[in-house]
Amino acid sequence: MRRREFVRAMVSAAAAPKLLLGQGQNPAPPPPAPVPWTVGLNSSTPVPKAKLAEAVAEGESRFFTPGQMATLTRLSDVLLPPIGSKPGALAAGVPAFLDFLVGSSPDDRKDMYRGGLDWLDSEAKKKFSLPFSRLNAEQADVILKPWLRTWMSDHPPLEKHADFVNVAHADIRAAAINSKPWSDAPAVGAQEKTQVALYWYPIEPDLYGDRTKAMQVPQAKKGSRPTTELRRNY
Amino acid sequence: MRQEAVDVLIIGSGHAGGMAAKILTEKGISCLMLNAGPIVDVARNAERKSAYELPYRGFKPPGRLAHVFQSNEFNANVWVDEKEVPYTFDQANPYNWVRVRLFGGRSLFWSRQSFRLSDYEFKARSRDGFGEDWPISLADVAPYYSRVEDIFQVHGKSEGLEQYPDGNFVVDDSPWPTSMLRFAEAGKKIGVPVCRQRSSHGRDGLASSVNLLLPDAFATGKLEAVENAVVRNLTIDKQTGLVNGANFVDRLSRREMSVKAKRVVLAAGTLESTRLLLNSGLGNSSGVMGHYLMDQIYGAGITCSVPEARGGKATPALMGGGALVPRFRNISTKADGFLRGYALNVTSRLGALEARNFAAYGTELQKKMDDYYGSAFYMTIMGEVLGRNENLVRINKDVVDAWGIPTLHVQTKYTDNEYNMARDAVNTSVAMAESAGFEVLSKNTEPNPPGYSIHEVGTCRMGDDPKKSVLNKWNQSHDHKNLFVVDGACFTSAGWQNPTMTILALSMRASEYMAEQMRQGNI
Repeated sequence: MRRREFVRAMVSAAAAPKLLLGQGQNPAPPPPAPVPWTVGLNSSTPVPKAKLAEAVAEGESRFFTPGQMATLTRLSDVLLPPIGSKPGALAAGVPAFLDFLVGSSPDDRKDMYRGGLDWLDSEAKKKFSLPFSRLNAEQADVILKPWLRTWMSDHPPLEKHADFVNVAHADIRAAAINSKPWSDAPAVGAQEKTQVALYWYPIEPDLYGDRTKAMQVPQAKKGSRPTTELRRNY
Repeated sequence: MRQEAVDVLIIGSGHAGGMAAKILTEKGISCLMLNAGPIVDVARNAERKSAYELPYRGFKPPGRLAHVFQSNEFNANVWVDEKEVPYTFDQANPYNWVRVRLFGGRSLFWSRQSFRLSDYEFKARSRDGFGEDWPISLADVAPYYSRVEDIFQVHGKSEGLEQYPDGNFVVDDSPWPTSMLRFAEAGKKIGVPVCRQRSSHGRDGLASSVNLLLPDAFATGKLEAVENAVVRNLTIDKQTGLVNGANFVDRLSRREMSVKAKRVVLAAGTLESTRLLLNSGLGNSSGVMGHYLMDQIYGAGITCSVPEARGGKATPALMGGGALVPRFRNISTKADGFLRGYALNVTSRLGALEARNFAAYGTELQKKMDDYYGSAFYMTIMGEVLGRNENLVRINKDVVDAWGIPTLHVQTKYTDNEYNMARDAVNTSVAMAESAGFEVLSKNTEPNPPGYSIHEVGTCRMGDDPKKSVLNKWNQSHDHKNLFVVDGACFTSAGWQNPTMTILALSMRASEYMAEQMRQGNI
């Protein structure tokens, strides 16, 4: 506290008993120092506007290897190129976002992505003697097309390779459609819209919850990951 | 601090607890309601946002809510987190336990389909020899269904089918789009009825305990409610064998509390009510508590396109709306490979078809999606799961929740009866769709894991024989006459129907019986 404010605080504290005596009943006590400015925070106070971090900065890639990232980048561009005025998956920042999403996910999703990207690259080398990241659209189509399936929600294909291709396709599309660049661009025809919905904040969260000992869900032991709970849901 | 025991302690605030509170307080009885979670205020707790404003762009926050398929980043905070309240199961037989502990419980979020059970459900054993009959029939419950349908403003139409009992409806006579008429015509050819949906409209678009039941109870001045009260166990008077209160822990402060009660109504939701009784060591002289866990198979179905609606030609006269195919198997003929039956939810939509309905990507996919826009037609199953002794829950003392309360181990799986039913539903749907001239785009015969429908029922089933049931026909414990369980735990069989109307009707019926027993001085 600066000296001048300190002195003023002392003076008002000293004045209080006199006022008490003079009025014979309790007046409202003077508000303590930090309070008055908060009354200025009301509905007419402008709220600062913030940018999305993604709009001004790069996300740090920390999960996929550079080779896997190159494959994912090419895969994203092939599966969702720019159409009309909508950005493609690359302009929507999808590969970097998926590095973040998959990197924070349970092991089975990580394994499916890493295994799937490595498999794409090895197929590309086998068929075209090139890494997947350097295939043209026709070459990539030769590898991808046989694995495309139709499926219903919660039931993606379970067959090896088809699982990765179809789930990655759905993830790439969702990540692009739900990006700000996609939302900002006008749609042509029946292009999908960015999801807008009621978001629920944590409702009276239990801030002490993580101090209790009972919070760990028992996990299957490492190496004995269940093969029977087939349906992937994150 | 309260000195005297409360007249009635109600545990749970969803449809079951809300109805008990309304009925009892309107008869002048004082009630105290405990709810495990907080009161939700949509103006304070929720806000419309675009997916890109959220850290995971709308994807489910990774690693959370693995067994709540209904969850996404927008609604992730309304569900019970299985890290906070764990449950266990054998990895070979996963269970999706979908829970909401907010005031009002799952009544805040249900799909609002509103059906009566028929005597094909109440008296199923008499027809096919499997399981047990309920100790009540449709005639016993019908007057209560009528009152519930009035409170919930159920829209529907009388169809005159014994397996789809008519009710007290706000008449829905809106014309069907021609695609739905064609589907109904296809059903007629093979003896499959296609009927109107039945749905609770409630008030202001909400049909929940918090707007249709609890306000009436609070208005009497007879209801007190406590939020964030996680009940540990019920207590018993050893002299009389009657329940006499409950111990609970404050969810946030973790302060241990106890309350005395003259009577207890348990309405915590099927498995939480059973967990509480098992943890209290009460009401299980029959040994069947926890057994006969049932629900409905969901997830199997097909997605179609109506060709005439393609190429920008979809109109409200052609597309949109919904229908319900009530159970038609094992009514007048016997189905091959399964007992009981299933219903089909039928919906037609004017919007986009999901990309996964096309084996294509990029520009080719977008062309397909442009062309097929507005032509979507879906059929999905709601199938009865049989009540089996070996499908059960028990207490797992080795795993406790965030408040140290022992958790449930869920041991349940579907059998050939359910899998055969799912296949039959898909085959029948495909046949009807093709007969109506629709193109089938995708199909799935694999049911979602048990629990997914959020229609778990049973585990404290009712019956006349105290050796084979937990509750009598008034939802009253055979062992402790001042204890009532009014939620889905009382079900003797599951039916294909959304259980909500039945839970509401039975809670109303049990509460009126309870009030009368209190008036007579019997409890």
